[in-house]
Amino acid sequence: MTVIPDGALTVSADGRHASVELHGVDVIDQPQWPAHDAAATPARLRFRIEWDATDERATYDDPAKLFRATGWRATSRLWASVDVPSTGFQWTSDAIETSHAAFGFIGTEINGRYMTL
Amino acid sequence: MAKFFDPLANSSSRRDFLRTGLGTVAGVASLASLQGCASAIASGAATPLEPARNRPIEALAAIDVPNGGADPIPIPWLDRNGSQNQSPGPGMEPSNIFHFRGQVARSNDFAGMGTDNTGRRIAFGAKSTDFSFMSGEYFAGRQSRRGAFGHI
Repeated sequence: MTVIPDGALTVSADGRHASVELHGVDVIDQPQWPAHDAAATPARLRFRIEWDATDERATYDDPAKLFRATGWRATSRLWASVDVPSTGFQWTSDAIETSHAAFGFIGTEINGRYMTL
Repeated sequence: MAKFFDPLANSSSRRDFLRTGLGTVAGVASLASLQGCASAIASGAATPLEPARNRPIEALAAIDVPNGGADPIPIPWLDRNGSQNQSPGPGMEPSNIFHFRGQVARSNDFAGMGTDNTGRRIAFGAKSTDFSFMSGEYFAGRQSRRGAFGHI
């Protein structure tokens, strides 16, 4: 998990559309993770992800786990670019409109102590 | 994994990396940032002239240390494998942080195509290609705070 800086996250006023765009995310590529001794190579990621609510309402809650999320199932798209300086490998995805996610959700959530306030 | 990044590697190896590894790349970054490992996430700040860059969540732990730090509390029952994350889906809790109220979005299991720097067409996406954001109020270090966080 990471802190999203100002300007990288946009959410529409009605809460039904959102996007996150980050550049220069230094990451470790470790395909054998979570193997204890998995080799790691530094890589850099740049991405944009978008969510758009559908008309399907969704509520996920579990009182025992102290959470309640309400919103909509969402469509989601991803554009990404990966750069591996040590090998010179670079890869860029096609236009964001050509990607899709099998699952998406957008809405609001309340959990933990806020469930009892 | 070096084989997936080796410029001499065949296309099927790279294809395998991108199918399984794009999620892994981000997942490992998340793991590093949460576990306090040598984080690979660079510091940076957004300005009108500069694209937004993320900040390590550890930076928040150094704020208000006497009260326990300003970094958000993970979901308590997601600690078993150390990733403090679970795959999104119907019925699953969207947030990665506890004592939170605000806006959330999650998605996973992406599919798409791309091109490497040699012109090869390579698909990306897997069930573990998992993104989310949480933006709102959270409780940490004995007080309510505001912030925006992402699982990438």
